[in-house]
Amino acid sequence: MNNRKIVIEPVTRVEGHGKVTIKLDENGKVEDAFLHIVEFRGFEKFIQGHPYWEAPVMVQRLCGICPVSHHLAAAKAIDQLVGIDPENLSPVATMLRRLLHYGQVFQSHALHFFYLASPDLLFGIDAPAEKRNIVAVATENKELAKKGILMRKFGQEMIKALAGKKIHGILAVPGGVHKTFTPEEREYFLDGKEIPNVDTMIEWSKEIIDFMKTYHAENTDWIDSFARYPSNHLSLVDKETGALELYDGRLRSINSTGKELMNIEDIEYSYHFSEAVEPWSYLKFPYMKAYGRENGWNRVGPLARMNTCSHITTPLAEAERVIFKSYTKNFPNNMTMHTHWARLIEMLHCAELMKELLLNDEIMSNDLVRKGTPRNKGIGVIEAPRGTLIHEYHTDDKGLITKCNLIVSTTHNNEAMNRGVRSVAKEVLSEKPEITEPMLNQIEIAIRAYDPCLSCATHALGQMPLIVQLEDHQGNLIDEKVR
Amino acid sequence: MKKLDNKTIVLGIGNNGRQDDGLGWLFLDFLKSEYTDFDLEYRYQLQIEDAELISNYQNVIFIDASKDESEDGFSYYPCKPSEKYSFSTHALDPETILYLSEKLYNHEPEATILAIQGYDWELKIGLSEKGTQNLNSAKQYFKESMLNKHHSINKYY
Repeated sequence: MNNRKIVIEPVTRVEGHGKVTIKLDENGKVEDAFLHIVEFRGFEKFIQGHPYWEAPVMVQRLCGICPVSHHLAAAKAIDQLVGIDPENLSPVATMLRRLLHYGQVFQSHALHFFYLASPDLLFGIDAPAEKRNIVAVATENKELAKKGILMRKFGQEMIKALAGKKIHGILAVPGGVHKTFTPEEREYFLDGKEIPNVDTMIEWSKEIIDFMKTYHAENTDWIDSFARYPSNHLSLVDKETGALELYDGRLRSINSTGKELMNIEDIEYSYHFSEAVEPWSYLKFPYMKAYGRENGWNRVGPLARMNTCSHITTPLAEAERVIFKSYTKNFPNNMTMHTHWARLIEMLHCAELMKELLLNDEIMSNDLVRKGTPRNKGIGVIEAPRGTLIHEYHTDDKGLITKCNLIVSTTHNNEAMNRGVRSVAKEVLSEKPEITEPMLNQIEIAIRAYDPCLSCATHALGQMPLIVQLEDHQGNLIDEKVR
Repeated sequence: MKKLDNKTIVLGIGNNGRQDDGLGWLFLDFLKSEYTDFDLEYRYQLQIEDAELISNYQNVIFIDASKDESEDGFSYYPCKPSEKYSFSTHALDPETILYLSEKLYNHEPEATILAIQGYDWELKIGLSEKGTQNLNSAKQYFKESMLNKHHSINKYY
């Protein structure tokens, strides 16, 4: 057999364009595998010259799934340009931004689990490709699908109530927010008359965690071993307690055995991180300078957050975290497919947090905007649904942006996803006489666990597809699967 | 956030940052300025949750730009449920949304599609000249059909 190369293009059920190349040697053994990100937009460049206050509005156009995360990360940075640090924001502005953020994480996680991941779990990795989609889930698992739709809707309605639109709305302004919450808006989420209320969201979140735990018990070997590999884990944690924190905190990284590698103020990130580039991808490879390119990369997202935090502040999610952690005897969890489980615990946490905020009368007060002494540099760090998101802006004295740097969650996960692809390729494809579609789907499952947003990561307007190509040792294309 | 007690929802699909792809949204702008008896929703793409949305209505009208040739610059035709879907399921067809509404919620509203022919699709705001003409033709036709208080527009099927 000649050396061969497999290309999967496009990668499906992820956001944006991706492509996987798998190189086989003369014996059909996997030599190497790469996830390439093939789209490019240059958002950081064309925002230069725009007034700073446009950033939270413009940069959210990077994405149609998590625009709120970009809106809020940019807003946190822009607050600093008007002299307001997170602790100086008014209480109601902080609460409303958090409410928006929790609605966003809730709906994004629901989208990923129900729409993108559940077909693999419900129908199996060997199911026909035409069946592995949400339409089939809806047809064959009506109640699950209906709950998934209403959970996503709840989060989207929260975004609409606060930002005016479900996609690309605006809540944050420099130094605060532009609107408060009305009693009518609050009742909409509490009374359950028009949509299932927040208590129902909590109940359904618990149910879906139970579903995941049962699924895990029935598929332990696969869930535990698939695309499993050691990594560092990075996320924000609460500044005082180390608890799970999605909106504002310190950046903490631990290694695969739990040793703390970094615990810094978020605004110090640039002193501690560098970004490598590779000729085969538009996506950079961030790493911690102190540990180098090879050892300093991190996973981010739900699994990383469960590993880095000391506890969760809401009781039901904390109880689930304790169960989750007990499975690895409180050591860091490096099992990639457990990311789905962690994601669902975060959904429950967000539902509990939304309830706490909705029951707080202060969300209807009017102390919305504050001002301080202007500065020329602002850094906003937030935990987006997919992981740590960093926005940095510099301005001139006229308030025009002179420099912008974005490190997006999926960029942090670049190395992790590539390792996942390599791990699964070697496990599944090596020395097999025939490469089948279900085999290629397993490559995609390894990528999909990270819920990557390739559009965000390259700051591009994305569609979605993935390509897998098979190459020989001389780089000749032998086989290709395109979806 | 609360809907009026309307029986018809109109979903405009497209993106006004891509020239004639904004035809659906501009048609909604027109409806907003002229009528109060429709609920209006702007969409980049149709997604699965729209099945739940339309299950609350008796009538649904999907309005989108189209590359297909049309003698009048637009076409207006019934939408029938279909199980078809693309690989991504990020953007679903009106027919699939209707299918899911029936499957999940046992409700199939009477659905029609207004497809307005467009010509230019670059990253730019503003319709092409012919796209504008087609929009106006569609508006005129819609006004006439609505003034008659029924949807007897079968001649365009």
